[in-house]
Amino acid sequence: MPNPTKNRERQADDLPLSGLEVVEVAQGVAGPFCGRLLAALGANVIKVERPPKGDWSRKIAPFLSDDNHPESSALYLYNNTGKKSVLIDWETESGIDTLTSLVSKADVLIEDWDVNYRESAGLSTEKFNSENPGLVEICVTPFGLSGPYARWKSTPIVQLALGGYLSIMGYPSKEPLMLPGHQPDYLAGLNAHNAVQMALFERDIDGLGQFVEVTMLETLANLHQIALEMDGAVRVRNGHRQSSLSRRGFPPGVSTLPADDGYVTFGGGSVAIWEQLCLMLGRRDLSENLDLDNLDEIAELRCEVDEIMTEWMKGRTREEVFLDASRNWMLPVAPIMELHEVLADPQFNQRGLFQDIHHPVAGTAKYPTLPFVTSDPLQEFKRAPLLGEHTEEILGR
Amino acid sequence: MNGKKSTTIRSSGALKGVRVVDLTRVWAGPLGTRILGDFGAEVIKVSDPRLPADRMGGLYGKLNRNKSSLGLRLDTEVGRRIFLELVTISDVVIENFRPRVMPNLNLTYDEIMKANPSIVMCAMPGYGAEGPYAEFPAFGSTAEAASGVVSMLGYTTDRPIQTGMSYADPVSGLNSVGVVLTYLRRSRATGKGQYIDLALADSPVCMIGEYLVANSAISYLPTERGNEHPDHAPHGVNRADGDDNWVAISVTTNDEWQALCSVIGGDRLSDSRFSTQDGRKRFEEDIDAVISDWAKSRDTVSIMTQLQEAGVRAGRVSNNQELLNDPHLAANDFFADIDEGENGLKRYDGQSIRGNILDKSEWKAGPILGQDSKHVLVNLLGYSEADCAALAIDGTSVFNDESSTQS
Repeated sequence: MPNPTKNRERQADDLPLSGLEVVEVAQGVAGPFCGRLLAALGANVIKVERPPKGDWSRKIAPFLSDDNHPESSALYLYNNTGKKSVLIDWETESGIDTLTSLVSKADVLIEDWDVNYRESAGLSTEKFNSENPGLVEICVTPFGLSGPYARWKSTPIVQLALGGYLSIMGYPSKEPLMLPGHQPDYLAGLNAHNAVQMALFERDIDGLGQFVEVTMLETLANLHQIALEMDGAVRVRNGHRQSSLSRRGFPPGVSTLPADDGYVTFGGGSVAIWEQLCLMLGRRDLSENLDLDNLDEIAELRCEVDEIMTEWMKGRTREEVFLDASRNWMLPVAPIMELHEVLADPQFNQRGLFQDIHHPVAGTAKYPTLPFVTSDPLQEFKRAPLLGEHTEEILGR
Repeated sequence: MNGKKSTTIRSSGALKGVRVVDLTRVWAGPLGTRILGDFGAEVIKVSDPRLPADRMGGLYGKLNRNKSSLGLRLDTEVGRRIFLELVTISDVVIENFRPRVMPNLNLTYDEIMKANPSIVMCAMPGYGAEGPYAEFPAFGSTAEAASGVVSMLGYTTDRPIQTGMSYADPVSGLNSVGVVLTYLRRSRATGKGQYIDLALADSPVCMIGEYLVANSAISYLPTERGNEHPDHAPHGVNRADGDDNWVAISVTTNDEWQALCSVIGGDRLSDSRFSTQDGRKRFEEDIDAVISDWAKSRDTVSIMTQLQEAGVRAGRVSNNQELLNDPHLAANDFFADIDEGENGLKRYDGQSIRGNILDKSEWKAGPILGQDSKHVLVNLLGYSEADCAALAIDGTSVFNDESSTQS
């Protein structure tokens, strides 16, 4: 078993991606999140930023310093841990030469150039790979380089709309709701990381790199199986009750209900869980003679039990409900945690999920690290680079 | 560049020759192993032979395509021995039980490593292998609540709303692939295995990193709810013609604002209050009212197309059926139509990593429990037909391949 307390003590040359050279020109979240993972696993990630302002995420709030200093954007700081920053204006002739020379020695290039940009800048998909046949080039864009939406512009809400996520979030009587932050970008970043590993696996066999596209829209469509499996039916949004489990042959599913100090989510979806829940509420009768094919009856039963549970939770805190239902009744239940509670949570902290990182401009903050621990510990996370901090070291000027 | 896929395609299935023993259930784990299968890995799903066998279609089918099925009891000495033999000839083991389950079966990482020191083992428990909540049950729907994501989602700050899609599951499934492949490459190079403990609840935490960083440093809490953006306006969804049809619109620059005004026309938007981003943010409701008036009698596809062609970020709110018929996804050959036997041909989402996948003509539907038991036991592990008959009789395995059902 990995021991998190002994974790992250290793030297950089002993990590799974030690020796892997990565150049990242992608900006924002998707490509940089992928680069962040590669850096955490031991790769040398050179982040190329265009002067004078660098990555656009440097301009995004929230900022950790009072004066909205671009070195203190939480989005930039989080997504660029462990990288080196080099300033190159690749939109000038000498700049593209410098970038090309940097990429000619790299194993992986992470970029986010869409079809409009490629055409205006004259960047073909073969440009780098033809000079460096071992190069794995990952191109992360909202819609990809081909197809009817290829020239369209996107943002997280547009992406979540087209990708089918908005349609299932929120109340049926109200407008559909988006996920917080930059979720399509993060998801595509995870997928880009998978694409890099897949291409490297192939390269280990024949020495050849390749150009691989990862798109946000396809990433979202790929993860939408619950909706896609409905066999012709339209999945509707259903507020604090997850509707996917209201199907023939299934007992009532997930509900989010109030406790004294906030809300608690009850997972569901199996007869065993339903019986256990009814037992906990002292209402074993409600789990007897269930007709799982009668959807109306199941829906009614669910409303009834939601009311009973709400009553049952009066006078209890989220934590009391969580610990009692999880420990004593083995029910899948969790409090809806606020951000500061997540940061203080004993489970997350025992796993070493967060690490304090100091930054000369932004100060010290707690950063999420990786969602996994490994039997061979990884290294400590290092702070994000200052704009152009490593230009001299890497370009010699 | 247009109209042609630029991804290099040089072989079918980058992971051909990789064998994965898949003990996962529900969503997160099966999604991870499905991705490995899409790229040609031989994914052997090991299931208890006492489970019902008729589970090819639906969500199960979607998540278990390109996998084989071995029926095997792990809680008997014979079954456990066969499992360890399979581990010996495999590269990866993935499971998402609660932490006590594998030790109870005497199948700890140490035992598995004894059988195969190069093995990459990925456990995907709810809260991790150790710690105060380690044995608590968790689903994607509850792990997303624990992760903080849900606290930022809702129409108002006092009533959080779930994602409706058990967000921790897909995020955790995606995470498993990259880390498993990282250590698999290393195992191939050095012979050294690895144990990975990937927690369902940790995965979504890492998707809101910037908010947690800011909360820890300056107690930052995002106050915007619904579809509000902290800076941009308009930003949200507008009702279009029809029952429950909506279009998302987001204006991020002055140019995009001008483009929106020119598409909508009239003079209600040519108001000096709206000429700057700050002004638009301040009078967002007034702007939304004008857009809603314009959108309500138009259809979603024409609104989105007209706006995008003018340079405005817009997208219709596709439901699951519209997503399955999306023209852009279809033009990129994203979907896969797979024969589900008695269910007929069913449309599946394809693979979003373009390149290196197993050729779609080789894709197969989710397996019937035990359909590959004979193949695994006889062809891979060297058991005889007579051995299989004995394993069927004592219930260690189950055989649902065509030759078995005929006999």
